Amino acid sequence: MAEETKNNDDVTRRQFFAKLGLGSLSIAAIGTAAFSYQYLEPNVLYEPSPVVNVGKPDRYPLDSVTLDVNNAIYIIHSQQGYFSLSAVCTHLGCLTAWKPELGIIACPCHGSKFDEDGRKIEGPAPKPLPWKRIWINDDGDLLVDRSTDVPPLAPDSFVRV
Amino acid sequence: MAKTVNQRFEALRGTHVWRSIFRSGIGSSTLKRALAIQQNVFLHLFYTKVRTRILGFSATWYLGALTFGTFLLLVATGIPLMLYYHPSVPQAYADTKDLQFVVSSGLFLRNLHRWSAHAMVFLVFAHMFKVFYRGAYRTPREFNWVIGVILLLITLLLSYTGYLLPWDQLAYWAITVGSNIASAVPLFGNKIHFLLLGGNAVNANALLRFYVLHCMILPLTAIFFLAIHFWRIRKDGGLYTHSSEPAVLRTQAANAGGNPGIPTSAATPKEAQ
Amino acid sequence: MADSKDFIAGVDSNAKKAPRRIVFITRRTSAQVKAETEDEIQTFPEVLFRAAVAIEVLAVLLVWISLVFNAPLEGLADPSHTPNPAKAPWYFLGLQELLHYFPPVVAGVLAPSLVVIALIVIPYFRVNIEAEGLFLRDRQQRLRIFYLVASVLSLFLLAFKVYAALIPTLIMVGIMLLAAYSSPQSPSVFRRYLANRPLSYWVMTWFLFELVVLTAIGTFFRGPGWSWIWPWQGS
Repeated sequence: MAEETKNNDDVTRRQFFAKLGLGSLSIAAIGTAAFSYQYLEPNVLYEPSPVVNVGKPDRYPLDSVTLDVNNAIYIIHSQQGYFSLSAVCTHLGCLTAWKPELGIIACPCHGSKFDEDGRKIEGPAPKPLPWKRIWINDDGDLLVDRSTDVPPLAPDSFVRV
Repeated sequence: MAKTVNQRFEALRGTHVWRSIFRSGIGSSTLKRALAIQQNVFLHLFYTKVRTRILGFSATWYLGALTFGTFLLLVATGIPLMLYYHPSVPQAYADTKDLQFVVSSGLFLRNLHRWSAHAMVFLVFAHMFKVFYRGAYRTPREFNWVIGVILLLITLLLSYTGYLLPWDQLAYWAITVGSNIASAVPLFGNKIHFLLLGGNAVNANALLRFYVLHCMILPLTAIFFLAIHFWRIRKDGGLYTHSSEPAVLRTQAANAGGNPGIPTSAATPKEAQ
Repeated sequence: MADSKDFIAGVDSNAKKAPRRIVFITRRTSAQVKAETEDEIQTFPEVLFRAAVAIEVLAVLLVWISLVFNAPLEGLADPSHTPNPAKAPWYFLGLQELLHYFPPVVAGVLAPSLVVIALIVIPYFRVNIEAEGLFLRDRQQRLRIFYLVASVLSLFLLAFKVYAALIPTLIMVGIMLLAAYSSPQSPSVFRRYLANRPLSYWVMTWFLFELVVLTAIGTFFRGPGWSWIWPWQGS
């Protein structure tokens, strides 16, 4: 026993058990964190669906801008077809309004103004009003998916009847 | 040149920021170990040193610590459960079902909460009987025993209020029966019944009152009395050591040569720390 | 001591175990004096780590149980339909069993209140501080009182047909009689142990016994309509 040299690389029993203990504790902690994060993200949402049915296309005459307040979208029938804009101002989330006498969409909160294509005219809003995916279902109704943005003015962003 | 993890950790512990948070470092010197207790806001309820005799399993069976452990488990599982639970009728039942089938780990959390609750009630009774049979309620620990009885009642009330929350048949009728017993109190029975339920029957008001009691009022009260309970252990001279333990037995034998089962007044430990 | 000083001074001389201390004990002080110095160790890490390990073991046990057994959940609460039997949580089943025999005022209010008051009063009821065995002094007189109390209690329970409480009581009476007819010099360790038990021990053990039996009956032996069933009959 007296001849054993204590090599500093040797792990003592104490160190071994300490490492074992801390190792298992870390694994348990990481596992708990992972499961806790999974727990906190709901698997089921009790919210209204983002896809809304806005009725038959002939409700919207040519060159009209219609605000659907309950769903916070505009359904616009232009020369190129039907398209949908989000009515939520991109500044801080207020509901905008269509001003037919001025031909613009205006936000009452901080004075942002947008044109009929959603582009910003003036105001503190950082981005234009996004275009939302619109299509016709088998019953002939117009459907808008508020969770999906489409490129503005692109041919596929319009629905032609 | 490569530094080991330990060396990096040591370097971190030497930084100004670290030392401003943890004023005294970790160390194995007696001073450092004492400071770790004394300078910690939560731990300084305890003494820095305790008598060796109370450490063994046979002294307390660690029942007090285990009861406190189940309490911590219940808080740790109860708070996440609150995130998916709406205390309204009949949403509460739907939420309980959601927790069991829809929410990730919801079933496990609910199970753990339920079984920890049963364990806590069992352990608090076991703790009480153990303290009694060891005689650890005698002077100067009388008041701590009373605090313990209060904590027992709070535990039973916590369990009782929590029982209603799933809003199933088991819960509803158990609480109906229990609150009808409360109305049997002479003179004030009906008033107590009315106030407890927030109405004449177990309905939405009752659920909300029981929810507030279970999640807010009773846990805060429990923590309040727990703090006093731990503090009193220290102030009364630490955990009780039974007079029939070897060190005192030797003294008794040396003093009186009497019956080891009956402590003589000279050897009854009068302790202060 | 006939000195006129307000204090007595002493010196703790075991300088190896503790720092040198000089103690001044003033008269009329509430401080208590240590009979002997004992071995002490540090709270951290000894106490805290032991408590942490104990709690961890308990947590692991509870986690295993939670992974295997599900908490019960019955149908939605229906005020128009009472399940049969409607049982309280297990820790109240002893009480519910008692409710079978006595009106709610007695079993539901009086009994629990008296139990709680009795528990609170225990440490203040300072008879027999030396914890002497019950029958070791004034044996004949105490035996007479014991027979009286035991008979009154048993007759009372018999009159109300509370067999659930009567049987444990009779068993305790039997064990106490064994204690009464034992002494610290009895040959068997058990009888010596019994002979040295004080009254507080007997009362508490009787209470614990009753609690366990009544709760067990309420849990396993009561079925629809609170009728007597055998556990294997299922409910």
